[in-house]
Amino acid sequence: MSTIIRTQGLTKIYGANGTAVHALRGIDFAVEKGEFVALIGPSGSGKSTLMAILGCLDAPTGGTYELDGHAVHGLSGGELARIRNGKIGFVFQSYNLLPKASILRNVELPMLYAGLGRKERRERALALLEKVGIADKADKLPAALSGGQKQRVAVARALANEPALLLADEPTGALDSRTGAEVLDLFRELHAQGNTLLLVTHDPSIAAQAERRVEIRDGLIAPAAGAA
Amino acid sequence: MTSSGAFRERLLEAWTEIRENLGRASLQALGVMLGVASVLGGFSISDSQRQRAEQLYVRLGGLDKLNVQPRAVVSDRQPSALQQANLGLRDEDAIDGGGLRPDAIQGVSSQKNARSRVVSSYADQDRSITGIGGDFIPANGYEVEAGRGFSATELEAGAPVAILGTEAAATFFPSGSALGQVLRIGEVPVTVIGTFQERVFRFREDQHNIFRWRNRIIAVPASLVQRRMNGDAYRRVDRITFRIPDLKVMAGFSKQLQDLVRANHRLQDDFRLDDVQARIRRQNGQGDVYDLVFLLSGVLALVGGGIVNVNIQMASLKERVREVGVKMALGASGREIFKTFMTEALLLTAMGGLAGLVMGVGFSWIITHSIGIPLAMTPASFLWAYALAAVSGFLFALYPAWKASRLSPMEALRYE
Repeated sequence: MSTIIRTQGLTKIYGANGTAVHALRGIDFAVEKGEFVALIGPSGSGKSTLMAILGCLDAPTGGTYELDGHAVHGLSGGELARIRNGKIGFVFQSYNLLPKASILRNVELPMLYAGLGRKERRERALALLEKVGIADKADKLPAALSGGQKQRVAVARALANEPALLLADEPTGALDSRTGAEVLDLFRELHAQGNTLLLVTHDPSIAAQAERRVEIRDGLIAPAAGAA
Repeated sequence: MTSSGAFRERLLEAWTEIRENLGRASLQALGVMLGVASVLGGFSISDSQRQRAEQLYVRLGGLDKLNVQPRAVVSDRQPSALQQANLGLRDEDAIDGGGLRPDAIQGVSSQKNARSRVVSSYADQDRSITGIGGDFIPANGYEVEAGRGFSATELEAGAPVAILGTEAAATFFPSGSALGQVLRIGEVPVTVIGTFQERVFRFREDQHNIFRWRNRIIAVPASLVQRRMNGDAYRRVDRITFRIPDLKVMAGFSKQLQDLVRANHRLQDDFRLDDVQARIRRQNGQGDVYDLVFLLSGVLALVGGGIVNVNIQMASLKERVREVGVKMALGASGREIFKTFMTEALLLTAMGGLAGLVMGVGFSWIITHSIGIPLAMTPASFLWAYALAAVSGFLFALYPAWKASRLSPMEALRYE
């Protein structure tokens, strides 16, 4: 099994000398291909910071980060954008769908940035919507969908460029427990199909659904964390 | 993908974005539209006004005439012997003056007027008689409508022939054609050989005809006036006109002519020349006023449109920052975001600009129509209005696009 995520001594410091906040203080962390890992920790533990760095949305202050075998730390903004586009699929708590764009176009966007042709984008986006079970809503605006449906769109969009890593940040945080369970079922299904999943949550019952749990506390991996 | 294909793709995307955000986009386009419309309107109204003014000068016979007229040197005291002996403005002055710059002078014409009793079978009136030289008719904007003009022989010999303006023709020959009829001017029977076209010019449609007096003309050869009506032994004339199209040449010529005529007149200033410098100042000054109008309306329109755009950008900032954050998370680079913003703004500018041109035409038509002058629009105005819109659209788009492209994806995603 190849390694998708490998970090060593990852640190992140916000602010300048006097008021500096050490959000991450040396994270050594790895995720293998095909794993379903839950990153758990209370708010303020640094898990959101870690997830931003792992998602290439932010750069670490120190340490190394390899994603899918390539060093990511120290890359330029344009290169990070290309990596986000090709290797990472995001699912956010607040869905982050473009409100004025149709469902289909929301799913097409990552493929647009990847330079795929119009026809190919459309076909693939429709197939992905089919896969998450809402192909019939393709022409609707996000506002016409329920929370669970929106999150399915977000998952379809995250899968658009066949990413090496699916990164879900509190994906059920805005959903009721039944819909949340459905979304988690979808994640398990994706895991079963061989996708690598990293799920960030503060809720132990949701983290329990994952193969492996990693706990973060005060900017460090908690030593007690281990396999479920 | 070829670069033209990528550009088309980008345009299509921008179009999709515009359709998705129709409210914001149409407000932005409205700013451009009003800007273009008011620039084009300003240009066109100025053009119309200027064209009308130029038409007036052309109908008056153009700006290219330099007139020399006699002037009384002595008004209320006994003239000196020298003044007494002076010969006044003569044909010789015209001939000498014409020799100064034969290359630049397009025509010379002397005029000798008289006041006389004019009698036909229908009317008997005291009238001004205009004795004209060869170049008078075109130089003063007259055209022979019926019959013919004076031949060189008639002008030379002072033949008893006349051409009438429409008013004169209607007065002396109210029924039937004036052509071939005989008119008695003083003691001289004169045959009417032609009539002039009616002269009409109204600066605005509802104004009176400011050329009405020109239709009263009774034109005969200047030599006829000199020999048989109001002449003297020295062949004095009332006016000499030189036609010089180039105003700059005219300025120099005017000085030379002044010296020459003064020398001919024993160093006496018993004549006056048109003030060419004043004419040049007037023409340039007129240009200045129009240029200022152009500039002001252009600047105001651009600033207005720009402010509208900036306002809209500010109002939609929150929405846009989240949008940029999401797009960046999905893999759009800062450069991509910049290009997207710019393409969208330029497409909006292009479309708003086109609509603005249409609006500007309507706007100009309404204004010129309401003040009663014909609408004059030049392709240059359209180009300028559009180019200014494009430039301002580009400049006002740069800052928000640059701002957006510099956003950190993480902060943009968290922006509330």
